[in-house]
Amino acid sequence: MEGKTRNTGDIASGLALAALGIAVVVQARRWDYLGPDGPGAGFFPLWYGIAMIALSLVVLVSGLRRQSAPAAQWGKSGRALSAWLAFAAAVALSKPIGLLASFALLTFFITAVLYRRPLPVAAAVAAASTLGLYLVFPLLLGMALPVGVLGF
Amino acid sequence: MDILGGLANGFAVAFQPLNLLWCFVGVLLGTLVGIMPGLGPPATIAMLLPLTFKMSPAGAIIMLAGIYYGAKYGGSTTSILLNMPGESASVVTCLDGYQMARKGRAGPALGISAIASFVAGTFGVLGLMLVAPPLAKLALSFSSPEYFGLMALGLAMVVLLAGRSMVKALLAALVGLWIASIGTDLFSATSRFTFGQVELLSGIDFVVVAIGVFALGEVLGNLETREGVQMLPMPRGLLNLLPTLQDLKDCRFAFANGSVIGFLVGVLPGAGSTIASFLSYGVEKAVSRRREQFGTGVIEGVAAPEGANNSETGGALVPLLTLGIPGSGTTAILLAALVLWGFRPGPLFIPDNPGLFWGLVASMYIGNVMLLVLNLPLVPLFAQVLRTPSYILYPLILGVSMIGVYSTSSSLFDLWLLAGFGLLGYVMRKLDYPAAPLILALALGNDFERALRQSLMMSEGSLSILVTRPISAAMLSLAVLVLLIPAFGRFNAWRLRALEQE
Amino acid sequence: MRIPVCLVAAASLLGATTAIAQGFKPTRTVEAIVHTGPGGGSDVFARAIAVMLEKEKLLPVRLQVVNKPGGNGNVAVAYVAEKKGDPNTIAFFTGNWLANYLVAAEAKFTIRDLTPVARLVLEPAVIAVKADAPYKTLKDFIGAATKNPGKLKQSGGSITSRDNVVRQLLQQATGARWAYISYPGGGQRVAALLGGHVDIMVIEPEEAGEHIRAGNMRVLAQVTEKRLARFSDVPTLKEAGFDVPVVPQVRGVVAPPGIPKENVEYWQALFHRLTQTPSWKKYVEDNQFEDGYLGSAELVTFMDGFNDRMRGILKEAGVKTVR
Repeated sequence: MEGKTRNTGDIASGLALAALGIAVVVQARRWDYLGPDGPGAGFFPLWYGIAMIALSLVVLVSGLRRQSAPAAQWGKSGRALSAWLAFAAAVALSKPIGLLASFALLTFFITAVLYRRPLPVAAAVAAASTLGLYLVFPLLLGMALPVGVLGF
Repeated sequence: MDILGGLANGFAVAFQPLNLLWCFVGVLLGTLVGIMPGLGPPATIAMLLPLTFKMSPAGAIIMLAGIYYGAKYGGSTTSILLNMPGESASVVTCLDGYQMARKGRAGPALGISAIASFVAGTFGVLGLMLVAPPLAKLALSFSSPEYFGLMALGLAMVVLLAGRSMVKALLAALVGLWIASIGTDLFSATSRFTFGQVELLSGIDFVVVAIGVFALGEVLGNLETREGVQMLPMPRGLLNLLPTLQDLKDCRFAFANGSVIGFLVGVLPGAGSTIASFLSYGVEKAVSRRREQFGTGVIEGVAAPEGANNSETGGALVPLLTLGIPGSGTTAILLAALVLWGFRPGPLFIPDNPGLFWGLVASMYIGNVMLLVLNLPLVPLFAQVLRTPSYILYPLILGVSMIGVYSTSSSLFDLWLLAGFGLLGYVMRKLDYPAAPLILALALGNDFERALRQSLMMSEGSLSILVTRPISAAMLSLAVLVLLIPAFGRFNAWRLRALEQE
Repeated sequence: MRIPVCLVAAASLLGATTAIAQGFKPTRTVEAIVHTGPGGGSDVFARAIAVMLEKEKLLPVRLQVVNKPGGNGNVAVAYVAEKKGDPNTIAFFTGNWLANYLVAAEAKFTIRDLTPVARLVLEPAVIAVKADAPYKTLKDFIGAATKNPGKLKQSGGSITSRDNVVRQLLQQATGARWAYISYPGGGQRVAALLGGHVDIMVIEPEEAGEHIRAGNMRVLAQVTEKRLARFSDVPTLKEAGFDVPVVPQVRGVVAPPGIPKENVEYWQALFHRLTQTPSWKKYVEDNQFEDGYLGSAELVTFMDGFNDRMRGILKEAGVKTVR
């Protein structure tokens, strides 16, 4: 098919995976290929590393030659990525303020910012969900979740 | 003791009111545990062990076994509704189960899951009852070359999970193999790919990757748009909430396939329900007339793996009860429990304790019936989960994922891994890399490598050991055949096109 | 009334030595860290001890088992090391803790950073072959291995485990050589032996017991100092003619670094008392352990010796040590 744009996704992933493959092979060469009793630690990684390099080059080339399927739409990914950042922030905050507290904040963020619900609704959802999880997991099942300075 | 006599005795034991109660408690707990991602039967059984000292051994083993196979029933629920595997064995159910839910067929998916689990679970108990001792002896002849053949066959199934781009599927599988090698090498104590992190010394937990890539990836993907307060189309009417007769007909082979493959794989110590469900799914897809539709919501694609992971429990009890050899994490805890209660699991366990064995077997029949009765009516209830607005449901999925992962290892590091794999899952979706091959390779990678190295150690470096032994040669040939299936498909399409042009 | 200083000194000295009555007493739940998940070896051991402490009323508070799995045991070690100065934490260690850090450069803390309290038990092992194997004694096997170097095979755990240590010591002492194949689970190792895929294995006496009773396995020797009660007709390694040190699988107690002396003495006295109770004696006998109580000073000596030997063995086995 003519006239298609380059698939930047394929190019990027092809490059990234080729790099990973090269890193794997380099590491694998540092370990024993054959140990005293049989194949060593470097045996298997060497082979799948080589395969990774070969196949990722195929993807890279097909991305460059405009042969692959249409590339992904990254326009809307901003929302998803900001959600992911919020999730990562929640993980980071689990130690200082406790897992449930950071979950409450995460829920509030998703509901209020990403779904544009009115603030009181968002707060209510966050509180209710957090309470629900609190009842089921630490209380009912006795699981020990990270507890932060807020005590829960 | 002959089988009928033993079974009659067993039912006498199992029908005692107290034992019935323990059976019910066990299967109920098991279902709940299975639904919750992260928390699994081993941890639950370990937590309940102190309580079991106050019970009779028969009641205790009935209850603990109920947790074991009950969890397999519950594991499919979140897989189907939320693309979140409740247990590692339920990962395969996500593939078609979640797609069915997206098409409004969550009810039939949940229903067929329960029915397949019942059929296969009962088959597994039958197998345990009828062929346990001879099968166990046969299983002993299965050694590293045969395991290698089995793992190779499992990995070959990657080509059946490929979707549009075979190259990308293979790449995903290779990344899965890489993730599987992270950790300490068993044979040489070398640390591989640990990046200096102490927490990576024992490798990355499969559940963390599965939940991250499947569930989190899905949530992140859906968060791209704000559309639809409702997450998935709701099936209308009560009848649509259960499998139709056509569905049941379509799944006839899947029931058989899941039952047999699950049981046989379960008997092998060390091969678990994950490979059983993958193999069963692969076989189902390979023989199906509509194999291109697998992955888009085909009901046999749910029935086969769900059946397999249930009959696997029956199979896994074979080496435990006939030889005292635990095959998996849960059977290892059951072994510890038996020892704690003063029993000596081993080859003489069944002859020494016929009442206990037959009571257990009988209770498993009863338990499977209880589970069917419990789970089927719950299907409409569970399907209501899909009614929850996205802005409530998605954060809850994120929260439950965090809690589930934390509960398995109490490690914040694992939460970071979860976040990382969530991002990976999202990126893979965008770039059209299928996630199933990665998960499959991750599940089998270690066993595959280990079996190969063990085989070469046994043969002192000669690869011929893999092809001179009949079973491993057969498996490897099957693996090669599987690898050629896509080629057949292309050849057929080419041939048909050539015919059309004439 | 003036009390002579020497009397006061004597009284306080007396008071300090009865550490249970005075000095330190735990005021809240004691955390006992283990490196396995629920149901694993250390977890079961710790829970059994918790039950015994309660039964014998030795501890005024509850003992709570906390699982910190991961990192081959190093995560648990790091967790305890980071609880510096905490008086209400202890941890149960096994031989893993003593060996794993030698090969793991990633481990930021090692058991040598922690406060040793006591060694509690030794777990012996037996050397077993399939019942229809041509070896009636360990000498037979070693003889066969010497004639065919590298052909016979042993199944066992990782290369740093006790199974391989026994093999290395025997190989060094006799010049025989046989292969070692690692299997991740105990069940698989036994299956390999019973299926005839390997020739010999080192196995816990409990596990072996049942297979012997069923006539599937034969025990050639036991890896102990004295014969176990239930294996009274099996020679120990020394008795079988092999002068190799008995390297036991150990279990014991350690505590976080930086805790005051009375704290250590309290723990030590507590566990010393425990090992003298009837519940403990029954536990040791039921599980076919050897009572291996050592106080903290002797434990340090033991750990030093263990380390040196382990390092030597690992080098022989071709494993790179990083410390």
